[in-house]
Amino acid sequence: MARKLAFQESAKSRLISLPMVLLLIPIVLVSGFLTLPLIAIFLKVLPQEGLWETLHRPLVTEALRLSLVTSLSSLVLALLCGTPVAYLLARYRFSGAALLDTLIDLPMVLPPTVAGVALLMAFGRRGILGTWLNVVGFQISFTTVAVVLAQSFVSAPFYIRAARAGFQSVDQELERVAYTLGYSPLRTFLRVTVPLSLPALLGGAVMAWARALGEFGATIMFAGNLIGRTQTMPLAIYTAMESDLTAALVLSAILILVSFSVLLCVRLLLHRSPFGAYA
Amino acid sequence: MLEVAIHKRFDGFRLDATFTAEHELVVLFGPSGAGKSLTLQAIAGILPPDAGSIVIDGQTVYSSGQQIDLPPQARRIGYVPQHYALFPHLTTEKNIGFGLIDLSQRERKQRVSELVALFGLHGLEQRRPQGLSGGQQQRVALARALAMQPRLLLLDEPFAALDVNLRQALRQELAQVQARSGITVLMVTHDLNDAFAIGQRVIVYDAGQVIQQGTREDVFFRPATRRVAEFVGTRNILPAVVERNEGQTLWLRWQEHPLAALATSLKPGTPVYVCIRPTQVLLVPPERRDEKERENLFSGSIVSEQMLSETYILQLRLDQSEAAYDLEITLPGYVYHRLALERQKRVTIELRRQTLHVIPREDGKGR
Repeated sequence: MARKLAFQESAKSRLISLPMVLLLIPIVLVSGFLTLPLIAIFLKVLPQEGLWETLHRPLVTEALRLSLVTSLSSLVLALLCGTPVAYLLARYRFSGAALLDTLIDLPMVLPPTVAGVALLMAFGRRGILGTWLNVVGFQISFTTVAVVLAQSFVSAPFYIRAARAGFQSVDQELERVAYTLGYSPLRTFLRVTVPLSLPALLGGAVMAWARALGEFGATIMFAGNLIGRTQTMPLAIYTAMESDLTAALVLSAILILVSFSVLLCVRLLLHRSPFGAYA
Repeated sequence: MLEVAIHKRFDGFRLDATFTAEHELVVLFGPSGAGKSLTLQAIAGILPPDAGSIVIDGQTVYSSGQQIDLPPQARRIGYVPQHYALFPHLTTEKNIGFGLIDLSQRERKQRVSELVALFGLHGLEQRRPQGLSGGQQQRVALARALAMQPRLLLLDEPFAALDVNLRQALRQELAQVQARSGITVLMVTHDLNDAFAIGQRVIVYDAGQVIQQGTREDVFFRPATRRVAEFVGTRNILPAVVERNEGQTLWLRWQEHPLAALATSLKPGTPVYVCIRPTQVLLVPPERRDEKERENLFSGSIVSEQMLSETYILQLRLDQSEAAYDLEITLPGYVYHRLALERQKRVTIELRRQTLHVIPREDGKGR
């Protein structure tokens, strides 16, 4: 204990040295740059009149409901389809793996508007697949389904990447031992692989969900901006900026609070887990 | 009984392992990278061979001819890999009970507490592997593998990560586990002491091939080739030539000296190696030199010596020899002192014919 204190003492005295002071300047600049806009929103939103009424306006409530439904749907979609793909990429070497890998990374670097146009060309009313779906009476573009598709397209890669890294970090010898102890591959996956890569899976899921929640470009291109059907919170903020600053500010503040608390929850969860070192 | 005959081809490596084992402690012995661990994995069912067969107590678990390949789940083989592969997210208790999925909650608890008692793991039930010492981890891994009552236990370098004292204790424990369960225990090691200490049967690997198999005495005292002799620490591998067979005696010529060995069917002129372990070279006190029944007496001087705790390792150069040394001798400290070897460096040795093991030189050349 005494040793630890002594260490902290010396660390403190070293903090005051000149290089440390010089290092302090960029730290202050960066943290100031990151926090000031966030604080500004709350400074602007709190003095506004009629906050409570604004919260109940259809523009706000519909956007909240829609964002929650669509972002969670696209998260479920990413978990269901992304998990097997991530496991495949982590465990097997096959021809085309590198190509698949690159394809999965692509939406992360693509401008979302390009993703929106691409989705429109594929699933739009006159898109490659959309034409056929239209014949049998399905229309995807400019519906809530389109919002989910757009969000999945841009957010799933965040989950898949994290999950793949998580699965890779699990020693395959553990899985083999589970096999010899009578565990089927599926059971081994659920009882060994998933628990051991849980921090990575959780982190990836949160990142993907946050990305889906904030999705704007692909959604507005592919799904449009219809209240209650395709107008998610980012779209509602964009719309409200022209007429209703209060609503825009309220929605923005909500998004900030939600994002912040989710990130904080994940941090705390990972910290409590004995496998925090994996994260 | 375990019957293994497997073949597998890798990039630049071929594994051809054929051996049998009874219900005993069997050691797969050989240098690192010889294919010992791969053999274990193939038997456990986690590495598919290209061809061959694996039969455990009459049941074929793998046969390329009959198209049989039971998955690891159906083989009932306990497998303890190197570094034990304990589940880091589970406690000792959960690790040990991991394979007992078919038992009820109560039965599982019962079986786990039996094993905790058997391996002296009391008080560690709720610890995770990272909170256990190396020896404790090894015991948990053994308990986990034995929990489901396997018919075969596979251990990959079980003592590699442990210090010498712990090794000794765990060797005994492992021998007891085998004796109690009566199953075949197959253990991989590249450590001569491990192999010597507990292997009832020893299977010697080199570069993917089984180069000798037999009882421990067979392998250590009667190595089949020079390579095996080197692996098992024979130390004295003397190039010689067969002179003649004369009744009960095989006369050899080693450096210009005649050497009497037990008769074999080797023809005169055959180049051979004469193997004698350093512990079997006898030092003859001067006053007893002329006793009857002495044979293969040589005199020389000790040119170097090394003390390993209670044991002395001496290097002896024969008279008229020009080599750095000709023989290595290992003897207990009390013999060293009784013969006053700290002062007396000139000695006479006897190479008893029963201790000489003669193997044909496959390359036909001398050293």
